[in-house]
Amino acid sequence: MAHAIKFHPGMSLLEQHAEGTLSADVALAVAAHIDLCPHCQQLSRDITADLACQLAQQPVKTNTTDWQQMLNDIMAQPQLSKQVAAIQPHLPAEPIIVNQREFILPRSLQRLAANRGKWLHLGGIATAKLPAGNDYHISLLYIDKNTEVPQHTHLGLEMTLVLAGKIVDENGEYGAGDLLINSPDDTHTPRTMADEDCLCLSVLSAPLKFKKGLTRLLNPLQQFFY
Amino acid sequence: MLKLAKVARHDRGSSPIPDTQASMTRPEITNNNWEEALTFVALQRDRSAYAELFNYFAPRLKAFGMKMFGNEQQALEMVQDTMLNVWKKAALFDASRGCASTWIFTIARNVRFDMLRKKQSRKDDISADDLWLNGEYPEQEADIDTSQWDTQLLMDKLAPHFTSLPPAQREIIEKVYLQEKSHQEVSDELAIPLGTVKSRIRLALDRLREALDGARN
Repeated sequence: MAHAIKFHPGMSLLEQHAEGTLSADVALAVAAHIDLCPHCQQLSRDITADLACQLAQQPVKTNTTDWQQMLNDIMAQPQLSKQVAAIQPHLPAEPIIVNQREFILPRSLQRLAANRGKWLHLGGIATAKLPAGNDYHISLLYIDKNTEVPQHTHLGLEMTLVLAGKIVDENGEYGAGDLLINSPDDTHTPRTMADEDCLCLSVLSAPLKFKKGLTRLLNPLQQFFY
Repeated sequence: MLKLAKVARHDRGSSPIPDTQASMTRPEITNNNWEEALTFVALQRDRSAYAELFNYFAPRLKAFGMKMFGNEQQALEMVQDTMLNVWKKAALFDASRGCASTWIFTIARNVRFDMLRKKQSRKDDISADDLWLNGEYPEQEADIDTSQWDTQLLMDKLAPHFTSLPPAQREIIEKVYLQEKSHQEVSDELAIPLGTVKSRIRLALDRLREALDGARN
């Protein structure tokens, strides 16, 4: 049975995503969630229709722009046939292979993931950077079964979208499509179950900081997770 | 007399006109029927239908662009790029999937997003095509979820939360739930598409649900 998605982006995130005003990195995590979540697909459709209606209904002043010139320029161009217009630079969905496991990513991540960096391994954890970060660092994060990510806190915002498998932390259990957002105040110790590994999309605005005992020795390695 | 004239026009419009086959006569675009106009642009390269669309949307897109970019040059670049896409790709518009205004808005949003990214001159980067599906996700099964909420919302007497809704959504919720008007009546009354009435209701219900249980992030 399909996993019922429990953790969604809030309405204001969805609204800003539909409007196109989120920072691209955060927008990518929201877009990938929407790809996986029928409920948010419907909401996004509705929000977009609503924004469009507002745009179409706004009153405008008669203004001084010379529209005629622009109109003529446009209509001087040839129209495209339906076949030509419909052509999209569409990559066939290449599966991602890590730890001898194959994963098909959501549509929004496929193009960027095809240009990902090398997988870096540390214990049961592997990460590969996506070439998209601006203010944020975006990576794929693979966690083998029965593995714990050492307890850490966040120097910035952490968004984790579960793409496949399952992960648990002190606050609950997360499956494919669930979106976790952790602020600098949150501390958690995510881990996988004994029988199921996990692939996530991780969006970080600052490196992780490890909290406990010897794992603090990992702090020099925080670039690994970033 | 005015009324009579209107009726006469209406009759003329709806009676089957013996058409010269190749070019259907296009009725004047009334009641903001931009879906029809776009269809004529797509099927017949109808320049006057396109001009009407352009004259309506270009100034509104410019206002949107001014809000987003804060300067006229970029706003106009966005308008030109958007309306050029509307002209060239009109064949892709599918009225059964949504309003013309929604289609045009999404083109403008994507053009604007890619303009901003280009300004930052980064190539291997997130693009509008990554963020927004070009087309529709497969249709989901009926909105059982929403109708359950319809009943429960009434029972829970959510009226106090109505005031926190955006005005456009509140107006529709009041008409539908307090004045018991049909979606079609509300659509006619406010002169907005039926789909927009329905989507505003769903959005309002989701907002109210969020206000209630705060389950979403």
